[in-house]
Amino acid sequence: METYIEKIDGVTTVKFVGRLDTPAAQEVTQEIEPVMGDASGTIVLDCSEMTYISSSGLRIFLSLRKAAAEKGGKVIVRSISDDIRQVFMMTGFLNLFQIED
Amino acid sequence: MIDTKAPNPNYRLLLHNDIKEINRLTGFIEAIGEEIGLTTSVTMSINLAIEEAVTNVILYAYPFGTDGLVYIDAFRHPSSIDFVVSDSGMPFDPTAAPEAKIDVPLEDRSIGGLGIHLVRRIMDSVTYRRSEGKNYFTMTKNI
Repeated sequence: METYIEKIDGVTTVKFVGRLDTPAAQEVTQEIEPVMGDASGTIVLDCSEMTYISSSGLRIFLSLRKAAAEKGGKVIVRSISDDIRQVFMMTGFLNLFQIED
Repeated sequence: MIDTKAPNPNYRLLLHNDIKEINRLTGFIEAIGEEIGLTTSVTMSINLAIEEAVTNVILYAYPFGTDGLVYIDAFRHPSSIDFVVSDSGMPFDPTAAPEAKIDVPLEDRSIGGLGIHLVRRIMDSVTYRRSEGKNYFTMTKNI
C-alpha cells in the first residue's frame, strides 16, 4: 500500500494505492496522523486505486470521520470499487460517508 | 497438527503470529478461488473474512512477544467450503462476540467489532470449538 497526502486550497486529499489490509493499516495509521490532527477542513479519501479494505482500514476511515465531526470538518470518500462498496454496505459505512464517483 | 480424527484438509497454510504474515494469505485464498472457480468478488470477500479471523489470532491469541502458529485449513465439499482457523493460544470464542451496532448515528458507532461482523456477514455459518488446548474457528461458505 502506498499513501499519498496533499493539501491544496484547504482540501486534504489522501490517496490509497493497493491493498489496505491489516499490516498496511498499521503503517497508514501513522502516516495520516497529521490529517487526523487537522480535520477541521475537507478531507477527500481517494479510493480510485484501492483494491481491498479490511476492518483495520475501515477503522481508519471511521476515526477520520469522527475526528472531522468533532472539529467541524467533512470527509468525502471518492471512487470506491464495487467490491469495496459491498464492504461499506455490510458495515453500514454507506450511511456514514459522503460518497462520490 | 490438527485434530487427528478429522480428514486431511484440501489446502493448508501455516502462519507465524506476525501481522506481516497476512501478506501470505492473499495468494493462498486466490489459488483456492481459482481452482474451484469462484468469482474474484467472492474470493475477495472470503479473503476478507479469513483475514479478520487470522488477525485476531495473530494479535491476541499468544502472550505479547511469544512465538505462536496459526493454521488455515480448507476443506472442500460438493456445495460448500470450510475454512478452519486453529491455534494453540488462549481460549477465545469469536462467535460469542456481541453483534456490532451498525445502524446507529456516527457518534455511537464503535471503532471496534467490525472484523467479526464482516466474518458473520460474508460466511454462511461460523462455529467455534476448543479441543485439547486448541481453538478451532470454522467458517463455512456455500458455493
